[in-house]
Amino acid sequence: MLLPSLTKRSASQLPYLHQYQLPVFDFLAPCLATRISQSPRLHFSTSRRRRRAEVQSTDNGSLQATSPKVKTALSDEQRKFLESALRVNQAGELAATLIYTAQTPPIVKAHPHLRPLMKHMYDQEAGHFSTFNNLLAKHRIRPTAMYPVWQFAATALGWTTGIMGREAAMACTEAVETEIGEHYNTQVRVLLGWLEETEKKGEEVPEEMRELVEQIRKIRDEELEHLDHAVGEDAKEARPYELLTSVIRGGCRGAIWISERV
Amino acid sequence: MATRAPNLSSHLLYRSILSKPPTAAGFPKILHQHHLSSPYYSSAFPTEPPYPPTESEILSAALSRVLDHGFTSRALSLGATDAGYLEVSANLFPRREFEIVLYHLVRERMRLGERVQFAEEGGGRTVGARRLGVGEKIQSLVMGRLRANVEVGVQGRWGEAIALMAVPSNVPPSLQELARLADEIWYLSGDTSVDGSWYTKRASLASVYAASEVFMTQDQSTDYKDTEQFVEDRLRDVQTVGSWIGNTVEWVGYTGWAGVNLLRSKGFRI
Ligand SMILES: [Fe+2]
Ligand SMILES: [Fe+2]
Repeated sequence: MLLPSLTKRSASQLPYLHQYQLPVFDFLAPCLATRISQSPRLHFSTSRRRRRAEVQSTDNGSLQATSPKVKTALSDEQRKFLESALRVNQAGELAATLIYTAQTPPIVKAHPHLRPLMKHMYDQEAGHFSTFNNLLAKHRIRPTAMYPVWQFAATALGWTTGIMGREAAMACTEAVETEIGEHYNTQVRVLLGWLEETEKKGEEVPEEMRELVEQIRKIRDEELEHLDHAVGEDAKEARPYELLTSVIRGGCRGAIWISERV
Repeated sequence: MATRAPNLSSHLLYRSILSKPPTAAGFPKILHQHHLSSPYYSSAFPTEPPYPPTESEILSAALSRVLDHGFTSRALSLGATDAGYLEVSANLFPRREFEIVLYHLVRERMRLGERVQFAEEGGGRTVGARRLGVGEKIQSLVMGRLRANVEVGVQGRWGEAIALMAVPSNVPPSLQELARLADEIWYLSGDTSVDGSWYTKRASLASVYAASEVFMTQDQSTDYKDTEQFVEDRLRDVQTVGSWIGNTVEWVGYTGWAGVNLLRSKGFRI
């Protein structure tokens, strides 16, 4: 980058850095120096620069330096990942609530004992949907441009499988939750990877990130619970099982692929 | 023209310009892209300011020259010298005078939240004592943003800015910035819906804003009363159309399900 190295400020700020930190703990100089040179943009990271190293005394009385935790930053790729992940999740949960809404009347009419189960699964999906709605609003992420298309497709899928009967409806849940469960698993894995990396660097992980991992984990567990219910309600007896589940799973993957992009 | 004594960094700037002529293609890409706001907005992860300090200083100095010199390369050169750089450093901006327009758009979008604040949040310039509805907030925010052009002193020259935004190569960044402004206004109004209406809301607000901006350049009324009326009327228009579309979609859905239920009650297995 051409500009920042040539500006008036960076030149005048360098001496300030030296008098502020290095002479105070000169025995730490090598480690501080590397920390400083790692900070890529001097203009913007004033708070980071102004942090002093803290000196603590340990049990045996020797002085040990512990640097206070530096707040971690998100790279552009990380921001993009979060944005598209949350957008896809919202679209998926929108679809889930609509699938159950359309399936419930015919299924419950034919099998009244399934009413509590259908309601339980719907309620959980509605909770997931509202979680992601809130996250999108909070982080100013646009919903997918395919929103009305997914509304239509999910209703059609729920309706068709609902009319086909209990086994088909359960096979639909099984197929959807298999894809969604894997999808959430991938996200949890990526986020945990970031947290681990951040901690390794000795930087502070914002509460917001931990919370997000927990939210996605909890939702994933509930999706897998739906999967178990579906298999318990004879999803595997659906005819034609292979065709039905492979079409639905393919559809889910396609929808995820598209929602990640538009 | 009064030129200040160039300092050390201006010399460096000068030398690097001489050694590497700034062409639009060969120039660091960052100049074209740093206005992009990062996705995933979060208070836990603050983002960098959109302009590096040097550019910011030059462009904001150039803006103070716009009233006298218009949105021109001359204003940009004067801005560079006012900020203590060599005149030639105006060459840092491959988009020339359009860069002043864009800087103003970005800065005023980011300042809008401070300029217009609503009663329940307290502080700043509050609008009314009672709680405003989203529609009224949108209207105050649009007017607040339009009045910022007056307060910064560029309203008299705004026709030139509009002409620059209409130059074909400037259209994409201008539209992008207009879309960001519309998003900012909806965000500041406290609207949190993230459903299918998200796009139509932003598109219709953007169209109202663009039309009002053009109207305002011709407005001779006291304190821009006519513009205020224009904004109010246009917002009402799009609201009517918007709710008509929304109602139609809802009606189709409702009627569809009613038909299905009717057939079900007649014994059809659907
Ligand atoms: Fe779900
Ligand atoms: Fe689910």
